[in-house]
Amino acid sequence: MSLVAGGTMSPPARRSRPARLRIGASQVEAWAYVLPALGLFLLFELYPILANLWASVSHPHAAPSIARYAEAASDPVFWVAVRNSVVWVVVSIALEIAIGFPLAVLIELAIPRGRAWFRTLLFLPMVVTPSVIALVFTTIYAPDYGLLYGLFQALGLANSFPAVLGEPAFATYAVIVVNVWQWCGFFVLMYCVGIAQLDAEILDAASIDGAVGLARVRYVLWPMLRSTHVSLIVLGTIQALQQFPLIYLMTQGGPANASQTLATYIFQTGFDENRMGFASTVAVVLFVLSLVLVAVEYAIADNWLARLPLARTRGRAA
Amino acid sequence: MTHAGSRAPSRMLIAYAVLAGACAISLLPTIYMIDISLRNSADSFAPVLIAGHPTLRNYAAVLSHARFLRFFLNSALIAALTVLATLVCVTSLAYALSRLKVRGGAIVLLVIMSALLLPLASLLIPITVLLRTLHLTNSYLGLVGPETSLGIAFGTVIVKGAMDGVPLELEEAALLDGASSLAVLLRVMAPLCRPALLVVAVWQFLFSWNEFFLALVIMSRNAMKTLPLAPLFFEGPYMANPGKLFAILTLIGVVPMLFYAVLQRWFVSGLMDGGVKG
Repeated sequence: MSLVAGGTMSPPARRSRPARLRIGASQVEAWAYVLPALGLFLLFELYPILANLWASVSHPHAAPSIARYAEAASDPVFWVAVRNSVVWVVVSIALEIAIGFPLAVLIELAIPRGRAWFRTLLFLPMVVTPSVIALVFTTIYAPDYGLLYGLFQALGLANSFPAVLGEPAFATYAVIVVNVWQWCGFFVLMYCVGIAQLDAEILDAASIDGAVGLARVRYVLWPMLRSTHVSLIVLGTIQALQQFPLIYLMTQGGPANASQTLATYIFQTGFDENRMGFASTVAVVLFVLSLVLVAVEYAIADNWLARLPLARTRGRAA
Repeated sequence: MTHAGSRAPSRMLIAYAVLAGACAISLLPTIYMIDISLRNSADSFAPVLIAGHPTLRNYAAVLSHARFLRFFLNSALIAALTVLATLVCVTSLAYALSRLKVRGGAIVLLVIMSALLLPLASLLIPITVLLRTLHLTNSYLGLVGPETSLGIAFGTVIVKGAMDGVPLELEEAALLDGASSLAVLLRVMAPLCRPALLVVAVWQFLFSWNEFFLALVIMSRNAMKTLPLAPLFFEGPYMANPGKLFAILTLIGVVPMLFYAVLQRWFVSGLMDGGVKG
């Protein structure tokens, strides 16, 4: 279908044909362009996955076995980490969408000016170094001198101030709040991009049909942004699963492992306790968990789309 | 026009109020951080947002700290090299997939995209072992390599989307002049895709500047540490001196904030025009 040939150039003699003039690169030349990216991918992404799989089953003086998986399954901290990782994904994404989507709708459809300002100010937390944020929020949560304590004091509740990061029941959620604070602006921006790319005619047609206000948002805008929802949910899942600096610097996975996630547990077992084989096993579980969660999310999204009348249209042709 | 007359202005006011409140929450921790960095030691543990009596003494102290400046330099170099390497890898891959009809290109794209589903923690141990074997721990390349590879999937989505949108006519003129494939890439495609390349550059700079997990395990020598490790490094020594610690935090955080504030207009318009699928 194209003039791609083994030679170096496609001959200009074919100009009179309706067939397009193509860049005449040989397959060897074409692959040379692919190589740098593919090489880095193989080295730092595919190889690590395979190396983890092998390290999780291999034993220095014995045949490969699933002994380490059995060890993980009987390790209560491992299950705390699995549970917390799932909590991280579900709570982060639910809050980021619940906060990000309405704010994006307000920015794009409810105000006449100042859009760029709001988008930028809301996005700023996203660009601040997570290890910096971890220390700032540790101070905000600190008993006796933190900002939150100051707020409790002002409300006359100083005596009932909880040990936010020191209480096993709160620690995970207190760190998730920080993650949500940081990532909401990203959700806002991506929803703004999604709304701006929608076909304005469909939105207008819907409002002529009587869909205004909340009804228009719920029955027209929300379903039309399906591909934005899916991208954000998938991105948010991986982001929540790989969150490390906030947890490591705010709670170290504590108190008593209560806020451990798979990411922090991999670090603790692999680097602090020097149990590389076990850490690789946890890493395989994390990898599988991310695939399972994304597959479930796609299944839910597909199912959900089948029952909606409108598919998303792209405003601007690519 | 479609709004019901008198209700529209009040609705707009509510929208502004909600957005202003959201912005306040999003900026509050940063304001608090900056204020603590400006406090003298008497006020540094006051549980308030703004303590008053600002002083720049903390900044004078930390800016003359040689170790901190070294961290700064390391971060800047690694971020610059990562952005450069990512742009080269992503642009050439996107070009090959969009224009050169690589045999098996669809599979390559699928495989590269699958990296979007890999949490970094699941790759960390083998990457560290590999870099130790290659003697690349405590070296700039040891961070630039993995950070670049982690940016390729996202970058390729953006740049390939932009390249697919460039009309074929534009490169035909260059081809008629006998341009090679590399000349078409450098003279036609790359300049036309500048907005998309800027999106990738901004994203990769922020990622590299802020990256903590890889740096923590790969840069164990103090001379090679990057800024995200600085809070951990100075937390102990400045325990009783939050003003100085927060001056360091502010200096680290203000760079990406200014960087984004300056480039946000092009970043956002690049996202809106580009081939971002949501």
